[in-house]
Amino acid sequence: MAGAPPPADDQLGDPIDPRTLDRPWRIWAGLGIGTALVVGALLAFLVIPSFQRENAGLDMWTAFCRAVGITEGSPAYRQPVSDAKAAPVSQVAWSPEVLTILNQAEPDQGARIAAAVCSSCHGQDGVSATPDLPSLAGQSAASIYKQLHDYRSGARAHPLMTPVAQQLLIPDLANVAVFYGRDAGPSMGLGARGQSARPEIVRLATEGDSARRLPSCNSCHVNGAGGPIETPILTGQHHQYLANQLLAFKNGERRNDVYQRMRNIARVLNDEEIQALAEYYQGVR
Amino acid sequence: MASVAFDPAPAPAPARAERSTLGVGRLTLAHLWVAIAAFAVACVLGVWQMWARSPLEAPAHSAANYFRAVTFHGVSMAYVLTTFFIMGFGYFVAETALKRPLPAGRLAWAAFWLALAGVLMAALSILSGSASVLYTFYPPMTATVWFYIGLVLVVIGSWIWSGIMIAAMMGWKRAHPGEAVPLAMFGTVANAVMWLWTTLGVATELLFQVIPAALGWVDTIDVGLSRTLFSWTLHAIVYFWLFPSYIAFYTLAPRAAGGRLYSDTMGRLTFILFLLYSLPVGLHHLFMDPEHSTGFKFIQMVLTALVSVPTLLTIFTIAASLEIAGRMRGGTGLFGWIRALPWDRPMVLATGLAFVMLFFGGGGGLINMSYGMNAMVHNTSWVTAHFHLIFGGTVVIMYFAIAYAIWPTLTGRVFASARPLRLQLWLWFIGMMVMTLPWHYTGLQGQWRRVAAFDYSDPMIAAWGPWVLLSLAGGVILLVSALLFVWNLFTLHRARAPRGVATFDYAAAVHPPGRIPRALNGFAMWNVFVAILMAAAYGYPIAQFFIDPPPQAVVHRTVAG
Repeated sequence: MAGAPPPADDQLGDPIDPRTLDRPWRIWAGLGIGTALVVGALLAFLVIPSFQRENAGLDMWTAFCRAVGITEGSPAYRQPVSDAKAAPVSQVAWSPEVLTILNQAEPDQGARIAAAVCSSCHGQDGVSATPDLPSLAGQSAASIYKQLHDYRSGARAHPLMTPVAQQLLIPDLANVAVFYGRDAGPSMGLGARGQSARPEIVRLATEGDSARRLPSCNSCHVNGAGGPIETPILTGQHHQYLANQLLAFKNGERRNDVYQRMRNIARVLNDEEIQALAEYYQGVR
Repeated sequence: MASVAFDPAPAPAPARAERSTLGVGRLTLAHLWVAIAAFAVACVLGVWQMWARSPLEAPAHSAANYFRAVTFHGVSMAYVLTTFFIMGFGYFVAETALKRPLPAGRLAWAAFWLALAGVLMAALSILSGSASVLYTFYPPMTATVWFYIGLVLVVIGSWIWSGIMIAAMMGWKRAHPGEAVPLAMFGTVANAVMWLWTTLGVATELLFQVIPAALGWVDTIDVGLSRTLFSWTLHAIVYFWLFPSYIAFYTLAPRAAGGRLYSDTMGRLTFILFLLYSLPVGLHHLFMDPEHSTGFKFIQMVLTALVSVPTLLTIFTIAASLEIAGRMRGGTGLFGWIRALPWDRPMVLATGLAFVMLFFGGGGGLINMSYGMNAMVHNTSWVTAHFHLIFGGTVVIMYFAIAYAIWPTLTGRVFASARPLRLQLWLWFIGMMVMTLPWHYTGLQGQWRRVAAFDYSDPMIAAWGPWVLLSLAGGVILLVSALLFVWNLFTLHRARAPRGVATFDYAAAVHPPGRIPRALNGFAMWNVFVAILMAAAYGYPIAQFFIDPPPQAVVHRTVAG
């Protein structure tokens, strides 16, 4: 802020050098602006942190560094509040590196692995003939990659899948995922064309139930819905498989869902709703 | 300032001849009609958005349509209405205040067509549903690249305008050595200079971060950096929008009230303080963001507090100017001069209503800029209500008054009656109060912003219902006022409107400026101070992204390609 400068001589005709007129402005404006900056900086970096640091148990130097932003954290709080390390069940994080692995995967390579390893249970064309084993054809690549990775790391367990996944290298997981995901669309596997159920089941699928804090299934489980990218496509999947997984989430046998999203949802669904939703998503051809 | 000697002589010459003397008439009209068209469409969408968020069932309501509409509304109001209005009014001021032809008239037209092409590109991108990223972009979301390129063209058009404004002032100064630049032009150039500084942030963000991401050249984006660069622009752009209103307060309102400007120097100081303090303050939009330290947020809060100084200077100076007018009209006593003011004149009425809205909107703004209190209103409807009141209210009502003041000069026709003009201004004021005050209240109740709908089956949200409906009613009043505004201006383009004078004069100061220091007559010194302030306020906050690069975000493409 410019302080109050001396009034300018505005008598026209006086041959005053404009630089003389400007000088007090330059000095006063510079002083005003400089004072505001210095006062602000003193408050921001020294005075306020010196009071805040006691709450966080910090010495003055650390509080100063935090106020400036040279070191992480706030000068006012203990950060981090605990030394405990969070241990996520699933090790998959959608970092740029992981997405690059998926982007660079080779579906041809995946096709060879699929024919040699996967097809015996999941079907020659990726459509499983056994209703409690999932179909893979048309499933999203990110979803398949996450589950394979979880089997590999032990976040999800299955007597057959765990050893299979542990034999494969990470790039191969991506190759298989991309091979099965190459035709991902609105529905997968059985290729449902019609979905019908009682109105309250349809409402659960499309609108959820705010009274039970249930989001709609479709808010994530439709291809391109915008939910977490690892969310599998449900339409056209075997209903026995879907129901088994919901029940496994519900009773805590399956725990590789990030933030317990599916465990929290399955817990408030009753068994009858689980069966009905599973059949709704399998649909009819 | 127009000197006292240049008082309006009744212009006996026929309007058609007068009209042809204004070189920038068509140029100004072209800009202002683009602004007004964008404004009218955006008003319709705004009401629909209010409706969609209310307990009533709105037609075509889906999340996709909502965010498409919000993007269109925001882009139209924030980028098209403002930029085109400011450019058009700037050309008008350059010719009428400096009383000499605009330099580089052809270049000005080129800038107009460039910016208009940009507007059409952005509008088509949004309407096709491939740019529903809102007008503040929100990386790592990306829209179709045509959306961003369109907006860059608008900015380039406005840069050309800034250059022409600066050149016009320099040319005038060369022809009038030692004389004070007329205040209206001084303010316009202050805005142009500020705008060049302002757009550096968003232009850097778009050219180096967002457009490469939209084109698929990169897969990740540093969101902290992009938010910081946008904050560089985000507050100063508001003052860019505000400038014409303040120019009208200082150079049009005192004359319309029949008085004089209390102090020319106050006007110059105000414009300079806006240039200085609207830029190094953008971090107050990021108080709750994790990428900056508390210290730099605090410094920018202190600097933000200083931006209230020019506003307080203005309230004082304009109130004093109006008091002079009121007392000259026979008003006496402590408040008698207020009664004596000619409230039937649109410019005076709009100034009064703008001040009332500035009182509420400015008060809300002081809450927003306070680091601690900001935590309470962060991301609530309070913020949306605030910027609608201060921008849609204080600023836009002065745009109306400016249009009413200059349209007769532009068209050579006069308004047959001021009644529909006053009605329109009153409707805008009432509509804005009815819409934004309940909206502030629901914000305090915790109503979140940037959502397409509310679940009114939730008891907590159900309690907001009546307030949202009240807001919607305010929105409907605003739409009526907006359409009346368009109609009022349109009547002057009809042959049967009465012909009138085409001269245009600005308010004279009580003490017309004689010799003034260069500090109050140009911006060279102030640009140095702006550079120092920006280096202090943004230097380390931006440098830290390069010293210790944080994790990048994966680009989220809302559309392919």
